[in-house]
Amino acid sequence: MSEITEQRRDLAAVPEFTVVGADWQELPDAVEDDEMIINMGPQHPSTHGVLRLVLRLDGEEVLDCQPVIGYLHTGIEKNLEYRPWTQGVTFVTRMDYLAPLFNELAYCLAVERLLGISDQVPERAQAIRVIMTELNRVSSHLVGLATTGMELGAISAMLYGFREREYILDIFEFVTGLRMNHAYIRPGGVVVDVPDGFEQRTREVIALLRTRLGELHDLLTQNPIWIERNSGIGVLTPEQCFDYGITGPVLRSAGVAHDLRKTQPYCGIDSYDFDVVTHTDGDCYARYLVRLGEIEQSLRIVEQALDRLPGGPVMVADKKIAWPAQLALGPDGLGNAKEHISKIMGQSMEALIHHFKLVTEGFVVPQGSAYAAVESPRGELAAHVTSDGTNKPYRVHLRDPSFVHIGALPALAGGLYVADIIAAVASMDPVMGGVDR
Amino acid sequence: MTDNPRMQVPDVTAQERINQIEASVAIQLDGKLAAVRDRIAGAFPSCEFSGFRGELTVTAPPDVLVDLLTFCKTDPDLSCELLSDVTGVHWPGGVHEHQGQETTGWPTYTIEQAGRIDVLYILRSVSRNHWFRVKVSLPDEHAAVPSAVPVYRSANVLEREVFDLMGVRFEGHPRLERLFMPEDWEGHPLRKDYPLGGVEVQYKGATVPPPSERQY
Repeated sequence: MSEITEQRRDLAAVPEFTVVGADWQELPDAVEDDEMIINMGPQHPSTHGVLRLVLRLDGEEVLDCQPVIGYLHTGIEKNLEYRPWTQGVTFVTRMDYLAPLFNELAYCLAVERLLGISDQVPERAQAIRVIMTELNRVSSHLVGLATTGMELGAISAMLYGFREREYILDIFEFVTGLRMNHAYIRPGGVVVDVPDGFEQRTREVIALLRTRLGELHDLLTQNPIWIERNSGIGVLTPEQCFDYGITGPVLRSAGVAHDLRKTQPYCGIDSYDFDVVTHTDGDCYARYLVRLGEIEQSLRIVEQALDRLPGGPVMVADKKIAWPAQLALGPDGLGNAKEHISKIMGQSMEALIHHFKLVTEGFVVPQGSAYAAVESPRGELAAHVTSDGTNKPYRVHLRDPSFVHIGALPALAGGLYVADIIAAVASMDPVMGGVDR
Repeated sequence: MTDNPRMQVPDVTAQERINQIEASVAIQLDGKLAAVRDRIAGAFPSCEFSGFRGELTVTAPPDVLVDLLTFCKTDPDLSCELLSDVTGVHWPGGVHEHQGQETTGWPTYTIEQAGRIDVLYILRSVSRNHWFRVKVSLPDEHAAVPSAVPVYRSANVLEREVFDLMGVRFEGHPRLERLFMPEDWEGHPLRKDYPLGGVEVQYKGATVPPPSERQY
């Protein structure tokens, strides 16, 4: 029996008052067990997105927590079935909007496996994919830390986190033309080579981030309030993590060194030298430390990839799959290169037909299913792609780690206080765009 | 008939041609997955196995599913700690014509099939570092399969999603309710027979046709 219940009992012993219109004696009787049901969200600044939690409370103590989701459901998986394979990239990139490049990578890896061209993707494209996704991991973790700080009342952490993230989004805009929802990684490679000055600019940002991360570290790691709010909260054991399908930083914070980049490597990422950051406590504070460590490791990978960025094409040589034109930056934005336009419009009828067929109809993918998983900032992000041998996907399913982690919230929240729910949910770092799809 | 060998149609039936193509693109399973296949085949003789692009698919009858999942989780050689994903693919019944394309070598063929829903379970072992797929084929009318929640609790939300969007009933699931769609929604949107609406536009009664009928 909690303390609050004891106090309520004492109140019940107070002489009774009769109030016109209602017999107030009934109230303490009715709430004898002190249970109430409270809706938290969906429009709540601290639920990490459009997430609604139905809490059953005994005073401040949470007895049960049922997440209600679907507020951002946009039917992306259904939409994909009526678009050519390449256009699917523009849909999946909008699922987990903090890690768009990972969505694209998982989808493209699955399509490439169905096409049987996994080993034909050029090395330069692989290296660019690694650089871009690892930068994306840094930006996603920065937002995760920033929003956690905001939800726990540390507004300066939010300001710093979002400010640092903006440097990475500037690089993304420099390379892909967009800060988010890039549609940059395509089946067969990437859509356009990195522009001149990319390497130098990225190195500058890495150097800057190293110092700024130190500031974030100074601000939070030894901060008594931060430790008080996070330490010992929302503990998950490795067995619980496995049972609920939890992967990523949350699993690693419980002491399991499971990282798909090491165990099931993609894009040659196992050739880079990096460590899998783990912790043993399994609480919110351990997850914070794991994320900070992963940012540092990702910066290491990016530096190595920049050091040995190979030359060559960024798209498969197969002209039946590769986008016909290299894109180039013109006065009105990114578009087909001028040389390509003058060739198809002035010199080669066949090239024009080929361009037209490939752009309007796309390519055909052999029948079958493929499941390709990548290690996203939140865990195992995978695309399960089924083709019936046409130019459109028959069925695409994305296994989003945020969605699976939402299913573990009832186990995580039981026995916590209401204020700790905020820390626990934030430490799982779910992105509702990925949860609802 | 031309002399060009690429234009000559081989003298085989459509299904044989498909089998040939599939055999030519299928990659042999690596030793690890072959061992997994042999291990499951020894314990569950009613399962069928297929490998495509290096991925192992175990096709199980619905009545052995829970036993199979329990075996995969507890067997020390398999030790699949994670049920990563549950998803479904709907193959509606009827006569389907597949348009062949010369450039890809795929023939035009017609198949008649009974409607079915494939429910797919992705099992991953962290300690043994392998993953494979368990497939259960169900008739698409009143599709029902035993729930995997007693074995893996991650199946809770994953199965609810498949129920909500594909209409598969998971018998014994603790809370089989809609997850993404509103509670009073009719139908299951990811089924292929789910009617798609067009969009009315304010121009002389014109409409934008539903995506399944658009010509682009």
